[in-house]
Amino acid sequence: MPCYSSPMRKPNWTATLPLLLASCGAEADLVVYCSLDQVHSEKIIQLFEERSGLNVSAQWDVEANKTIGMVNRLLAEKSRPHADVYWNNEIAQTLRLKRAGVTAPYFSPSAQAIPASFKDSEGHWTGFAARARVFLYREDLPGQHAPPPRVESMLLPEFAPHGGLARPLTGTTLTHFSVLSQQQGKDAVLQWLREAKNSGLSFGPGNAAAMRRVCEGDFPWCLTDTDDAAAARRNGYPVHLLYPDQQEDAPGTLLIPNTACLILNAPHPENGKRFLDFLLSEEVEAILASADSEQIPLRPTVPTPEHIQLPGKDFRAMAVDWEAAALELEARQDDFKELFLE
Amino acid sequence: MISSLIRSSKPFLATAAIITLIAAWLPLIPVLAPLFSFQAFQDLADPRLQSLLGRTLWLSFCAASLSALLGIPAAILSHRIRLPFASLAVLLLPLPLLLPPLLLAQAWHGLTGMDGPWAAVFSLGLCGVPFVALFASQALERQSASAQESALLIGGPFLALRTWLRCVLPAAFFGATITFLFTATDFAVPDYFAAVGDKFSVYAAEVFNGWRSEDLLSGANTAAPLVLLAAVAFYIALVIRDRSRHEESGLGKGSPPIDSGRHSVFLSLLLWAILALVLLLPIGRILWETGAAGPEANGDWFSRSADAFQNAIERGRFDLLRSLRTGILAGAFTLLLAPFWAHFLLHRKPGRRTRLLQVALALPLLSPSVGTGLGAILIWNRPLTADFYDSWLLPPLILAGRFLPLAVFLLVERMERIPRSQDDAAQLAGTPYPQRIFCYLLGPQRATWLLSGALVAVFAIRELDLAVLLPAANPSAAVRYYNALHFARDGFVAAFGLLIALILFLPVVLHYLHQNLKGIKDS
Repeated sequence: MPCYSSPMRKPNWTATLPLLLASCGAEADLVVYCSLDQVHSEKIIQLFEERSGLNVSAQWDVEANKTIGMVNRLLAEKSRPHADVYWNNEIAQTLRLKRAGVTAPYFSPSAQAIPASFKDSEGHWTGFAARARVFLYREDLPGQHAPPPRVESMLLPEFAPHGGLARPLTGTTLTHFSVLSQQQGKDAVLQWLREAKNSGLSFGPGNAAAMRRVCEGDFPWCLTDTDDAAAARRNGYPVHLLYPDQQEDAPGTLLIPNTACLILNAPHPENGKRFLDFLLSEEVEAILASADSEQIPLRPTVPTPEHIQLPGKDFRAMAVDWEAAALELEARQDDFKELFLE
Repeated sequence: MISSLIRSSKPFLATAAIITLIAAWLPLIPVLAPLFSFQAFQDLADPRLQSLLGRTLWLSFCAASLSALLGIPAAILSHRIRLPFASLAVLLLPLPLLLPPLLLAQAWHGLTGMDGPWAAVFSLGLCGVPFVALFASQALERQSASAQESALLIGGPFLALRTWLRCVLPAAFFGATITFLFTATDFAVPDYFAAVGDKFSVYAAEVFNGWRSEDLLSGANTAAPLVLLAAVAFYIALVIRDRSRHEESGLGKGSPPIDSGRHSVFLSLLLWAILALVLLLPIGRILWETGAAGPEANGDWFSRSADAFQNAIERGRFDLLRSLRTGILAGAFTLLLAPFWAHFLLHRKPGRRTRLLQVALALPLLSPSVGTGLGAILIWNRPLTADFYDSWLLPPLILAGRFLPLAVFLLVERMERIPRSQDDAAQLAGTPYPQRIFCYLLGPQRATWLLSGALVAVFAIRELDLAVLLPAANPSAAVRYYNALHFARDGFVAAFGLLIALILFLPVVLHYLHQNLKGIKDS
């Protein structure tokens, strides 16, 4: 019986093997899980690699498709950790890791000048380079609809139909409303959200999506993060920022820092500490402030570009008990979900 | 001893089953465990969840119907009617599968400003058209020439159309079921279209939020009803497909395309209108976005677009290379595994047990990939298997296991064309089992065999959740792409998305050119 064709013909392995093996690198000296935007964080990790001579394996998180990401991976890997350091672009999930016993204490000498309110008293995490929760708005759209001066005023009839924000189910918006719930009480915040849902406010899947809608002219303002606002400006859109809650009787603008922590039973703890010392340095805060994401340094001594607004100097930041806010986040997640997933 | 072993199918099927167990079924154990508990279904008493599930099923049904409505004519026009540039249309039709649905959704929003649940149906339905067209065209190629010729002689083109539809519908239903499954498990696209106007949510968003809870596997509880419903839908599709097999023998010479006569222009326009909806319009918008920017941006469109492509190549080339490696390996595993499964399923008596086995094989595809990823961590991240967990072999294996069903069902569709007597004769002649499979059965169907591997490779490269969760899969094009998408780097995202699609599409174009040149040379 003839063989019709030649699917079993010997393949040209000399051509395919190099492609297949091309990126099988050497074993890593340090594994970093990172939730900050890859385009910014990879430069910093590369700089550390160059200076330390260590081979660093970096793994990135993604929020666009709403994966459960690195935090759940760290929880799943708890019995045999793969990572040495977790660099989170916010704080609430880091506190969740601490409570779950995933993190190890380490007081980095580089972090001494970081304000105590952005550090764990037990050394399980340290905050640095923050984002602020701001109103992004356009003045060139018809109607001249300015954003409200306070976050709580968003649902007022003169503002609500013209603005948007992310649903408080993930990311910094979830953290923001958990902080508000912890400070103002859950009933007040849940009632506010119920009214907001029916007020005409738009609720999108994330901060970047809300920013994109403002750029496209779907609505003239949104509540978002400063790094998203920076992306809009970089893409050439005529947008402006308003730091909310600056009145005397208002709590101030929420600042959400990056956080970094050492992983308990990490495979390379000493290298992890070296990386943390580098990451928490003033130099890295300065790099992040000058980068496209325009992160806000927590230390006043860090040199920053002129257009970066600084807490204490250009705006008043909200005082937050992060441990309590993170506990509130766990408690409120289901309430928010029931409100917004129906 | 060895020669009798290689003549028998059992050792090979056992090996295929063991590899499938490692790649596909073991990581599912933590995810599927709730299917056997009452607890997972108790929550469905909540009216909110009932409403979410009902809406999800309705939207998925509508998207699947749209994909069938466009996919069936696309398959018939491109495969059964002689139209100018029809072969180019055949080449372009699967291209949307290379692009992430969220990118296509954003392109449609950019083009039309659409929002709300119907926008999600429209966008996801269009994403599913290639599935329907692919399975329908395989069924059409299986149709015997005599059936078509008889229909043409007796009743002209309209009777021929009826025979085509009868031949195509079960396969199209199967393709539409895949659209249904992909739509039911997608929440990024509905979420995107729910930002303005009608606020709505879907059950997949509830599942996602379940994964975020303190209890790692509570997402599995939430996902259980959706997995069960998907399995039932899949089972029904198999029943319909099995029934159609009895009606259409599928043996003999394949039927050639017929002349369209004076309707040629209209039918060509119809085919290209479908292609415009499925591919050309959104891809045009994505291309435009490579250089699009606000009124205060520097430079013109061309310079910004060139920068975006340069940026994409500079930043993404190594990730793309790693993704290609993972995709090629996943495709290669599939090329070796899928034929054994397809042959085994074809030679089993059609019935409930065979269909249940097929549902079991499809379970990785029906289950949320986040759960599969977490399951893979819990199963393989142990001291004894640590090296395997860390290795770059794990991701392609898990990805091959997840997308294996697509390849198996595509091959089953085509292998039915081979007369059973041929395989029996080879067996009687003592031909080794692999030779029977790869030479006699797959030899004439080599294009479909390669297509099945390519399809798995493409889906492996596109897969995001597993790329985030599995160590060796993380540095990948998918992670870089979605990371940038989140942070609104629109030019980079559009350019990188097109670059990925172009690179994946290149082998198909080369194959097409090679075939055409060969055809010219032969004639």
